[in-house]
Amino acid sequence: MDSSVPDFVLFLGRFHPLVVHLPIGFLFFAFVLELYGRWNKNPQLYMAIDLALLGGGISALVASVLGYMLSLSGDYDESTLDTHFWFGLATTLITFFAWGIRSGKLRIAQLNGLKPNMVALTLVVVLVSVTGHYGGNLTHGSDYLIKYAPFGRSEKVVLPPIAQLEEAAVYDYLVNPILESKCTSCHNSSKKKGGLSFQDTIAIKKGGKNGEAFIAGNVAKSEMIRRIMLDPHDEDFMPPEGKTPLTGEEKSILTFWIDNANADFRVKLADLETPEEITSIASTMLGLEDVTGKSGIPLPKVGLVKEEVIGNIVSAGFKVRELIFESGLYEVVLPPNFINSSNSDDLDGKLEMLLPMKDNIIWLSLKDNDVQDRHLKTIGQFVNLQKVELEKNPITDKGIAEIIGIQSITGLNLYQTKITASSLDNFLKMKGLKRVYVWGTAITEDEVARFAEKQNRPDIIMGM
Amino acid sequence: MCDHHNKLRSNNRDLQSIERQLDRREFFKKTSLGIGAIALSSLLNTEKVWSAVNPVANPSNSIGSFTRNKLGLPHHLPKAKRIVYLFQSGGPSQLDLFDYKPKLKDMFGQDLPDSIRAGQRLTGMSADQTAFPIAASTLNFKQYGESRAWVSDAMPYLSEVVDDLCFIKGMHTDAINHDPAITFFQTGSQQPGRPSIGSWISYGLGSDNNNLPTFISLVSKNGSGQPLYSRLWGNGFLPTEHQGVQFRSGKDPVLYLGDPENYDGDDRRQMLDYLKKLNGIAYDAYGDPEINARIAQYEMAYRMQTSVPEVTDTSDEPDYIFDLYGPDSRNPGTYAANCLMARKLLEKDVKFVQLYHQGWDQHGNCPGGVKYQSKNTDQGTAALIKDLKQRGMLEDTLVVWGGEFGRTVYSQGQLTNTNYGRDHHPKAFTMFMAGAGVKPGFTYGETDDFGYNIIKDPVHTHDFQATLLHLFGIDHERLTYKHQGRRFRLTDVHGDVVKDILT
Repeated sequence: MDSSVPDFVLFLGRFHPLVVHLPIGFLFFAFVLELYGRWNKNPQLYMAIDLALLGGGISALVASVLGYMLSLSGDYDESTLDTHFWFGLATTLITFFAWGIRSGKLRIAQLNGLKPNMVALTLVVVLVSVTGHYGGNLTHGSDYLIKYAPFGRSEKVVLPPIAQLEEAAVYDYLVNPILESKCTSCHNSSKKKGGLSFQDTIAIKKGGKNGEAFIAGNVAKSEMIRRIMLDPHDEDFMPPEGKTPLTGEEKSILTFWIDNANADFRVKLADLETPEEITSIASTMLGLEDVTGKSGIPLPKVGLVKEEVIGNIVSAGFKVRELIFESGLYEVVLPPNFINSSNSDDLDGKLEMLLPMKDNIIWLSLKDNDVQDRHLKTIGQFVNLQKVELEKNPITDKGIAEIIGIQSITGLNLYQTKITASSLDNFLKMKGLKRVYVWGTAITEDEVARFAEKQNRPDIIMGM
Repeated sequence: MCDHHNKLRSNNRDLQSIERQLDRREFFKKTSLGIGAIALSSLLNTEKVWSAVNPVANPSNSIGSFTRNKLGLPHHLPKAKRIVYLFQSGGPSQLDLFDYKPKLKDMFGQDLPDSIRAGQRLTGMSADQTAFPIAASTLNFKQYGESRAWVSDAMPYLSEVVDDLCFIKGMHTDAINHDPAITFFQTGSQQPGRPSIGSWISYGLGSDNNNLPTFISLVSKNGSGQPLYSRLWGNGFLPTEHQGVQFRSGKDPVLYLGDPENYDGDDRRQMLDYLKKLNGIAYDAYGDPEINARIAQYEMAYRMQTSVPEVTDTSDEPDYIFDLYGPDSRNPGTYAANCLMARKLLEKDVKFVQLYHQGWDQHGNCPGGVKYQSKNTDQGTAALIKDLKQRGMLEDTLVVWGGEFGRTVYSQGQLTNTNYGRDHHPKAFTMFMAGAGVKPGFTYGETDDFGYNIIKDPVHTHDFQATLLHLFGIDHERLTYKHQGRRFRLTDVHGDVVKDILT
């Protein structure tokens, strides 16, 4: 049906989203005037209601016609479209009906004594709202309205976190997230631009009105790749002007999936010969530390932290910095000398305040703040820490024992603390630990030299 | 105080009463002119009207300032929190310091083969030479550390820390003369006018210490040779508060921080508050973000009155620290003293400290010149690396050492058994990095037997800049600023992150 629709009709149709706001305004205003009229019986007010209703009816009619023209493009989900269409039509008819009663052009004996004006207007307002809602769903997608609602937010299907890059299914972990961020806002089950939807695998295989979106194993003939690779000024370029284009890395992933993975929806990275470039992009995308996946503890998957929690922590004197934008992973720093012997009791309370976001903190600095062994007990609960600065504090071996359970710590700064060589064995228990700084402690060169003979030990860094 | 007014008014009493009235004429004038002015200013200077002054929300709003970055940064987990960039201005001779070429000894005095130079354009200083005699370094080279890195005798202190360094021997750049080359290194363009690396980082990531500038530059005193211009730490088209603040070399790093005689400074806060209010009115009237930059700078200067004397006072440093940095470190303004100052600034979480040391331009008397330059810088550089390491700061502080280009293998001017000069050479030179996220005890890239061309793993200036931003968690292709109708970035349309040198 698409090719038969003249361009001019579609051109007019695109004015529908513009015109459609006129009846909404008119009709709500009529309703407001009607309510006001209950209280202030002014004959001129009634004239205004008449006029608003007539305006609403005419503009609704125009909007309906334009809406029908727009629907001919075939870019929308049919069932939602049908509902929107019928509700729109009903709104238009009821509006004229309401205007008829209001202006006295339509007299129906049975309605006498039933407050027909109020009833009709309420009905009109309800209908307008319902129609508008479906229209909004058509344009923005059905999850648009309540996506950020404070209540009952339904989480999306969360993929289980993976520790090894090889376990990642190419489509689920790499391709789909790209499609979701860059494509599905226009290509989904309710808004199918060009007849194409990326909502699920069946829809993707089906393709759009220009044919299949991709040809497995053949990037050169895959329409979606052709479109994203075009010059950004090209008419056919995707995503269209004003939307964020795909990055080079994202293009590489899509190309890799179609070419090397033969556009298979189940295949895992382990099953494929993966070029280094893809490995590196994939580990960055999946937040697996170190681009080549050789070293490092993967970054923990955590939820976001509420603004007020951070607000409290910041007003307690901490500096909080998100380490990757919108990752929920934070660096927390208490400026040196914020705590000293005169207010050392405050530190207990301040550390307690960090507990609501304890899993989110991966870098923590408490240097030179009179941290004592008892405080490390609290810190022992921060299970995702990677870099910890505790230098210039009166902590002892007893305190260190409280944090050896945190296996993710890679760097531990303990210079000018009161620890001794007996902590060295505890460092062996911290599997992720790579470097410990112990300059200015009781630990001697000889002790470090002896420790250096052990297997799987962290580097112990002394003074120069 | 008379801070009850909210717009600029005349100080004539008779006029004031009239001015307070808002009549019909005034109303129309304001509305129509106001809309016109907005339209006009957006035509003239769009990015200034709508741009954010600081990506990190207003510092007074402490919640926003640390947690949400307006530019969506960092893009990935950073390795570096801060950087000290030891710029060796003039073009240190890689052939007399790190890039050991033993075969040159046998070729002493021979003409450089045409196949090596391959018709490369030379500078006006040696282009008219009839011969290009090969000058092997007269300095002795030895291997050091577990990494067996080659270092010449000129740098005895640095040779002690080679296992912490990552040498890049295949650096190359586009420019062959000092000023374009150094501007290219620091701003990504040979033409002046672009923001420097430190300004980009300040713009992108904001400050970790609101009491000190995010970006500070220190120039060794009594520098001779090629001049350094403030544009090397300039903000270009970025908002002015992102420019580097130069600390003077000498006893008083920032002038006029002390109170004038007979003034106790008690009402300064009040004065600044009022000034801020006036500036705020001017900002409302004109919308020029430079007014906000000015407000920010007044506030910064106020905080620096206490923070700068504190951080620049080295009197509480123990003697063994001065001994580590060498005797020069007690003499303010020298390279060694600046290295010590750099450590103190980094300790206070200043994000970008840039040192400059001039005089590495050995067109003549190269062996003597390199030794002299090394004597003034070697101990300070090595001490800074050691000092950062023992404090655990090398964990997240990046150290960079390098100049704007290298020097030729052939002698400029007369070659004797003990003396030679070297001209500018952009096609291959050596830099080193250390610390945050860079492989320690590692050498990347290789040059041919002449040290003239790169035969393995070249790293272009833009690649270096891209890698530097990468270590700060920034994708160099995504940190952009719109100016004069296009989006600019540090690496222009070039640059690849050198992943092979990352841990």
